[in-house]
Order: sequence, then C-alpha cells, then structure tokens
Amino acid sequence: MDMNSLHPLVRVGAACAVLALAACASPEKTPAVAAVAVSHNAVDNAVSAGAPALAPAELSSAREKMMRANQALAAKDYKTARALAIEAQADAKLAQSKADSAKSTEAANQIDADVQALRDQIDRANSDQR
Amino acid sequence: MIIRFHFLKSLAFAGALLLAACSTVPTSTPTLDEARADFVAANNNPQIATYASLEFKQASDALDAANRAAAQHESLDAIDRLAYVAKQRIATAQEVARAKSAQAEVANAARERDKVQAEARAAESDRARRDAEAQAAAAQTQAANAQAQAQDAQMQAQAAQQQAAMLAERSARLEALLVELHAQKTERGMVVTIGDVLFATDRADLTPGGMANVRKLAEVMMQNPDRTVSVEGFTDSTGSSAHNLQLSERRAAAVAQALTSMGVPRERVATRGYGEAYPVASNDTGANRQLNRRVEIVLSNAGQTIPPRAAQR
Repeated sequence: MDMNSLHPLVRVGAACAVLALAACASPEKTPAVAAVAVSHNAVDNAVSAGAPALAPAELSSAREKMMRANQALAAKDYKTARALAIEAQADAKLAQSKADSAKSTEAANQIDADVQALRDQIDRANSDQR
Repeated sequence: MIIRFHFLKSLAFAGALLLAACSTVPTSTPTLDEARADFVAANNNPQIATYASLEFKQASDALDAANRAAAQHESLDAIDRLAYVAKQRIATAQEVARAKSAQAEVANAARERDKVQAEARAAESDRARRDAEAQAAAAQTQAANAQAQAQDAQMQAQAAQQQAAMLAERSARLEALLVELHAQKTERGMVVTIGDVLFATDRADLTPGGMANVRKLAEVMMQNPDRTVSVEGFTDSTGSSAHNLQLSERRAAAVAQALTSMGVPRERVATRGYGEAYPVASNDTGANRQLNRRVEIVLSNAGQTIPPRAAQR
C-alpha cells in the first residue's frame, strides 16, 4: 500500500491518535505510589491529632479517597491514584489542622475563663476588705 | 510540494479539531469559584499572614495550578480536582491560623494570669502590712494613753500626799502651839487661859509674857483661817461688881486689840467681860483669887461657831 494513496482524512486521524496518546499518557507509577504513601502518613497524623473526634467528616473523606487511590493503584490507573492521593492528603491535613485549632481554642477559652475567675475572686476579696 | 502542502493542511485540521474539543470546557467550575472566594477571604485575614504564611503559600500554589488548568482548558474533572485541593489547603491555612492564634492567646492569658496573681499577692501583702501598721499604731496609742493615765494617777497621788503632808504639818504645828499655850480641850473648843500674872496689876496692859502668848495664838489663827476666837475676861470677887465687870471687859479688849495688831482680822475676834462670874476657884485665898483673875480665849473648832457659855454654876 502506497503511503501517498492514503486518504488525507485517514492520515489526519492517525496524527490525532498520536497526539491524543501523547497528551493522555499515564503518569509514572513511582510518583503515584509516593503520593499515596505521603497521604497515608497525613491520615495517620490527623488521627493522632484527634481528628476522629474533632474533624470526622474531613477524616472520613480522606480515608475514602485513600481507599479509592489504593484501588486505582491496584488497577494500574496511576493518574487517578495520584490525583486521589493528593486530594486525600489535602483532606487529612485539613482534618489535622481542624483538630489542632479545636484543641487550641478550647485551651484558650479555658485559660481565659481561669483568668476571669481569678479576677472575680480578687475583686471579691478586695470588696470584702473595704 | 503538493504532498507537503497536504500534510500541513492535515496538521492544521487536526489542531482545529483539538481546539474544538477543548473549546467546550468552561474557564471555571463551581469548585474553582468557591476556591477563589475562599482565597480572597483568607487573603483578607490578617491572622493568616501572621500565623500561617507557609500554609497560605501552599494553598496559593494549589489555586494557581487550578487556575492554570482552567486557562489551559483542561478537563472539567482535572480542574475540579485541583480546585478541590486548593480549597482544602486554604481551609487548612485558616485552621492553622486559628490554632496558632489560640495558642498565642493561651500564652498571653498565662502571662495575664501570672500578672494578676502577682498583683493579688502584692495587694494581699500590702493589706497585711497596713493592718499590722494600724495595729501597731493602735497599740502605741493605747500604751501612750496608759502611760499618761499612770502619770496622772502618780501626780494625783503626789498632790494628795503633799496635801496630806501639809495638813499633817499644820496640824502638828497647831498641836505644838496649843501645848505651849497649855490649851485645854472643852466642849466649846480649845481654851487658852492668860493668867493674872500676864497683866499689870489691876490694869489691862499685857506684860511681855502675856504678849508672847497672844503672839502664839495669833500665829495659830493666821494658820487656821477657818477658826474664830471668843476672848472672855474674868475677875475675882474683890471690889465692886461694876469695877470688876469693866476690868474684865478691858482686859478682854486688850487681848483682842493685841491679836488685831498682829494681823488677825477683827471680825474673827469676839470679846466679852464676865466680871466676877464663872470663877475657876473659890475667892477665899489670895492664890485662888489670882486664878480667878484671868482672860480665857476660846478657839473655835475648825469651821464652827463657838457655842455660848453654859449657865452659871
């Protein structure tokens, strides 16, 4: 078959296929595996920070995406695996920071109340003296 | 040449197809819009700049990636995923800023609490010191008062003692003088008798001895201003009653005159002549008659008047 005898449209279609393949080429396996590992770590950190009690929605979202990322890894869909892992990591970090801020806010409220109670006590002592 | 031209035409067509495919992708998604709005809010939060600059930079990079994907017309799904990550990172930056600002508040409150406690302790010790000072001052005042009272009491005791000593001395002096004058205690008062020998015979002039006795009596009266005297003259029964009465009066007046001349106020001296009345002995012998010729000076008791002479015996 002579190349020149091919219909121009066929040649265009072939070029398109090549371009599309180049554009949609799957990312490497290694970055996907690394991203999933980092996300796993982030989820663990969120759990130690108290996220199960303080940021349950974000944590379960992170866990669900981790699970799907692992499924995608198993299916060798590295692009999806990496994207899900990055999302899971973002969710896990948000869960951790939410837990941290909840604890810090609680501590701040507690000490503010302590200081106020102390002030009240001193005011009472002073007014008793007078 | 024709073939090459055809090839170039084919390439242009393929590009146009791709562009056509991508032109259906919008430049934004709802998630990207949310992420952009969240970014603006975070950018306006001063606490983010203070406490979460690193997290905000990461969020900003994530949003840039999503915006780039949108500008390059990547798939809706790809843009959404990147926008979602950006959105979560912006939220993370907000939470980190909240946590760190709360931690800063805790540190501040702890300092505040320490300060308040220190103030309370200072106020407490200040109060204790003031109380102690007030108590010390009160105790001092009390001690000073007690001392003043003790001094007053001592002074009063001394004054009383001095008074008592003075009275005792005056009393002793009076006693001594009365002894010297041979005064006799009677119901009417102390009676000092100036005998006949102290007058010139049958006359009313006192002898120097009589004057000496009168002077002692004047001294007694000067020292005891609350006493008065009654000077009473008597004679024996020799001679006429009128003469005797007159002589007795003159002798009494002579004694009163002598007392007055020694400074005794006249109003404290009463005189009376009784003549032959009230003899102290019978008139049968010369010695007895001499006893009857006399002047008796009755010294009143302190502050009292002299009762009148009892009826003649």
